[in-house]
Amino acid sequence: MKRPAVRTLVLLLLLTVVACAQDLASFEKRTTVKTLSNGLTVVILERPEAPVFSFFTHVDAGSVQDPMGKTGLAHMFEHMAFKGTDKIGTTNYPAEKAALAKVETEYAAYIAERDKRVDRDENKVKQLEKAWKDAIDEAQKYVKPNEFGEIVERQGGEGMNANTSDDETNYFYSFPANRLELWAYLESERFLHPVMREFYKERDVVIEERRLRTDSNPIGRLVEQFINASFQAHPYHRPTVGWMSDLNSFSATDAQQFFDEYYIPSNMVVAVVGDVKSSETIPIAEKYFGRLPTKPVPDERTTTEPPQNSERRVILRQSAQPFYIEGYHRPDYRSPDDAVYDAISDLMSNGRTSRLYRALVRDKKIAAFAAGFSGLPGNKYPHLFSFYAVPVPGHTPQELGDAIHAEIDRIKKEDISDDELKMIKTRAKADLIRGLADNAGLAQQLAIYQSRYGDWRELFRSVDRIDKVTKADIRRVANQTFTENNRTVGINETIKTAPASQGGAQ
Amino acid sequence: MRVHRSRTASPCTSLLAIFTLMVLLFGALPFAYSQAPEWQQIPIPTLPPFHPAEPKRLELPNGLVIFLQEDHELPLIDGSIRIRGGSRDEPAQKVGLVQLYGDVWRTGGTKSQTGDQMDDYLESRAAKVETGGGVDATSLGWSCLKDDFDDVFKIILDLIHDPEFRADKLDLAQKQYAEAIARRNDNPGAIAARESAKLAYGPDNPYARQMEYATLEAVKRDDLLAWHKKYIHPNNMIIGVSGDFDAAAMEKKLKNAFAGLPKGPVLPEPKIEPHPAQPGYYLVNKEDVNQSNVRMVAPGTDRHNPDYFAIEVFNEVMGGGFSSRLVQDIRTAKGLAYSVGGGIGTAFDHPGITRFVLGTKSERTIESIEALYKDVDDLKTHPITDDEIKRAKDSILNSFIFNFDTPDKVLRERMAYQFYGYPLNFLEQYRAGIEKATVADVNRVAAKYLHKDQLAVLVVGNPKDFDKPLSALGPVKNVDITIPTPPGEEQAAGESPAAPAASNPEGKALAAKVVESMGGAAKLKTVHAIQAKLSQESKEKEEAASQLTLTIVYPDHMHLAMDSPMGPMAVVFTPTGAFMAAQGQVRPIPPSGAKESLEQIKRDPTFIASRVDDPKFTFTANGSEKVGNVDAKIVDVNADGTALRWYVDPARGVLLRESYTATGNSGPFQGETDLSEWKSFDGVSFPTRHVNKQDGKESSVVTFTEVHINPQLDPKLFDKPATTRPPAQQ
Repeated sequence: MKRPAVRTLVLLLLLTVVACAQDLASFEKRTTVKTLSNGLTVVILERPEAPVFSFFTHVDAGSVQDPMGKTGLAHMFEHMAFKGTDKIGTTNYPAEKAALAKVETEYAAYIAERDKRVDRDENKVKQLEKAWKDAIDEAQKYVKPNEFGEIVERQGGEGMNANTSDDETNYFYSFPANRLELWAYLESERFLHPVMREFYKERDVVIEERRLRTDSNPIGRLVEQFINASFQAHPYHRPTVGWMSDLNSFSATDAQQFFDEYYIPSNMVVAVVGDVKSSETIPIAEKYFGRLPTKPVPDERTTTEPPQNSERRVILRQSAQPFYIEGYHRPDYRSPDDAVYDAISDLMSNGRTSRLYRALVRDKKIAAFAAGFSGLPGNKYPHLFSFYAVPVPGHTPQELGDAIHAEIDRIKKEDISDDELKMIKTRAKADLIRGLADNAGLAQQLAIYQSRYGDWRELFRSVDRIDKVTKADIRRVANQTFTENNRTVGINETIKTAPASQGGAQ
Repeated sequence: MRVHRSRTASPCTSLLAIFTLMVLLFGALPFAYSQAPEWQQIPIPTLPPFHPAEPKRLELPNGLVIFLQEDHELPLIDGSIRIRGGSRDEPAQKVGLVQLYGDVWRTGGTKSQTGDQMDDYLESRAAKVETGGGVDATSLGWSCLKDDFDDVFKIILDLIHDPEFRADKLDLAQKQYAEAIARRNDNPGAIAARESAKLAYGPDNPYARQMEYATLEAVKRDDLLAWHKKYIHPNNMIIGVSGDFDAAAMEKKLKNAFAGLPKGPVLPEPKIEPHPAQPGYYLVNKEDVNQSNVRMVAPGTDRHNPDYFAIEVFNEVMGGGFSSRLVQDIRTAKGLAYSVGGGIGTAFDHPGITRFVLGTKSERTIESIEALYKDVDDLKTHPITDDEIKRAKDSILNSFIFNFDTPDKVLRERMAYQFYGYPLNFLEQYRAGIEKATVADVNRVAAKYLHKDQLAVLVVGNPKDFDKPLSALGPVKNVDITIPTPPGEEQAAGESPAAPAASNPEGKALAAKVVESMGGAAKLKTVHAIQAKLSQESKEKEEAASQLTLTIVYPDHMHLAMDSPMGPMAVVFTPTGAFMAAQGQVRPIPPSGAKESLEQIKRDPTFIASRVDDPKFTFTANGSEKVGNVDAKIVDVNADGTALRWYVDPARGVLLRESYTATGNSGPFQGETDLSEWKSFDGVSFPTRHVNKQDGKESSVVTFTEVHINPQLDPKLFDKPATTRPPAQQ
């Protein structure tokens, strides 16, 4: 590791307290990184405060990797990773395997006819659909539903969940410390022998998730359109949950292919934090995760979003309350200016001392909330620094936009104050410390930093980078980024609708 | 469809069960039991005993209770003060007071410094001091680096002793909550949560009521000061501190600061009873969604109840996690929902809400409700099994450690038990209670607390896309979620987001035809009262037809008189009161009943036909339907807020039928009245035969024998008669 980079931080922490567990030196002693021979990386942090541990499996593939016409596939596979294996969730795997293969054959025949543009035979579509559904019913006979989740829950698993973003897919939960080996078995097994059982029913569940988060949510509808307009070339323009037509088309075979291509050991980092010993954990990790076969690294090249050279506007007219969002393209998280964007975000958005709160909420009294932040829709690739605000009744989205632009002009034209800069830096350090007492949070941070930077220590160094940000950096980056032509605006304009409460019961 | 595997105990499986138990208990090791699944062959060592750090508890002579939890892992000191008294204790006309208090206590600063100055001071130290208002308590919490504690503690004491509640910050908070009110109908999930709580507790119940522009504006700075004075007393507060400090030193600091405070009065416990809505179907019509939010609710129980532990096991079986019945069936087997769950509700000191929740696509709404019902019914036909109980208990007990795996969780747990008057070792009682719960207990609580026919079913969705009308399940009540306008702001008719649909030209034309057939607009406008003799024949009960005299003075007075075997009887409904008078006694009629009866006037054809030009009355043609042999035109009528549907003979302009939602003795029903035998009285045409249906079943036939338009009336007709005898004890 590069010693000079962390000196400031360590010194600062020494000023506050000497014997505490929050400095990098203490973490160095308790953290072990092991890359297995198949390329999978394990990060172990010993934190024996209570006989429990948390883990976080980070897969460096997300919806950006979804194939054309199959948006939503990365997220769909995430759901399938809870469906069990060839040993868990089945009463007779050989028979089930054959039945599942038949489901795929029937499905392929059905959609081939269903999606014909010319000469489609509606009767044949119906017959093929029935054959496909019959095959599903046949395969269902061998299913022990939710056995995987049931084992985890019954063994004391806590907070079992997963998420998929444009950039990555994550799996996590916590266990009592005596289930470490059971965990290693279950977690490796789900990525060694995933089985695409109950795929089409789970696809319906995912479709409901889309309806919940996007279609039936006015801000969800606006943000989907806003991101879609902001990116024209890079896959960030597509929703992680997928377009409805893709969700109604892709197959279990597609999900298996996605898994085969992207769930490769060198794309995965597993962090374990809690009452575990690295000397015992590493052999267990080797025994179980070492079973994952090495596979070729996939081609993850994508189009780089070209510079935006004209302002874009998305205006949704719907019955919901008004809302304002705008975004400016910025470079990815590896940019040397990443910490400067973090500082701008903190300055503009963090709490009641922030610029946007004081200007829009407290003084102008036009907004109930306002903030600016990076990371929409992801941050692995060049993405957006976005501002959004919610008006109080009687004020329009455009007033909010104007007020945000006035604040942006201030940071472009005037240096921020010494007090503000000091506050940003102090908060970054304190926030880091506050995050260190939680197994689940630590596992997440270690896995993500290890994967993104190849070194979990970057978690501590990120604070140091913020410490180096200058007033001039903030003005420079603001001038570079926040320009009219680099901007996309999303507005929800409220329209009145027909009765919301009458006549429905007839 | 049944999803749960039925398990018969064969010798083999019970042996396996015993073996598994041994593995779980003793961490049994290598074995070659060929039948055991691979995962069960993984050794599970015994979890070493773990005794979490117990916070130190002290109680000062003035009643203040303090918990101190040392935790030296990080250089932080965090804490909170919990003060009894919350939104359930605020006056109904000032709903929102406690939330405003919770915000402005901190943002409004103290006598010596403004909230903004505090913000600058604290943020430069990356410290936080925040206040908040909840249902049963308000709170002050903080987090700071340990070296800043003394500075931060000064601010905390200043807030306790000298808060200023500056008016500009009250105004700011009111604006922000006004925004929240304006936005509250945007999110269907939030609507469902809010409206279902009202169904479970009653709309005005302190656990369910919501702030409105009027109640928000009613809160003044003096209210916040008065609240502070009333509730901030040492015997009304619990303090908990955790972090990197020495408990003895911290104890001294806190005693120095708080021991001198005088004890305050003991505040009474709130007495709040739930008044649940009638079971049945409730609909919030939300046109911009493609997913229905379904909530089935009823009042639950509290955790003092000895059944609480069996309820917890039941909830785990029914709706807790991946392996629960609801997730297995509704999500996994049927793919109906992304989120589904629920169980019997419990709260610490009042009944919780028993609730089942799911979100499903509009086209599967009715199917989903039926699936939920089926799962509730299944509890009787397929009682919970030993296996399910075992799985639920494993789940609760094996993850039990997560209730106390951090010092901070232990502290918060103890503070909650202290606050609600539970023994401080309640967590241990909980574990023992879970262990003890038997299959019989769990099935018994399911039968005792869960009754399908007592659930109010709320759907927030877009009914035009439903697989079947919600009314296929039973009578439906529309829930009006229109946001009342702020006081002093008249909303222009037709501009309100929830205003009735504007009339369409065809609807207007049909209404005009009806007016013509009933005697013409000029004549109808002169009608201000009507009196009729009628005979009502019930189709549900075997009894002689009743003879009644009905008097209506439009728009809101109704009088019904009849001769009963016990003598004359009268029922009177007016906006100021409703009562029944018989045998010299007068009994009041509850406001809900009175309101429903006055709704009947608003559905009266004569009443509506005489007001077709009033903008509060709208007529929207909406297709056609056969009534007898006639292709009747459907007109959706909104009569000043009362919705009904007319079926009009387009050739003659005769009104053939009306349909509506109403509330009867046993809850809401879908009503339908066929109108026939129109006769003219004083130039006004009147249907003398009404055939009534409730939920599609013929309920009564009413025949009018004499009708008088604008009759001479006794001026005291609607007055309460003097009673000759005291009313019987109710």
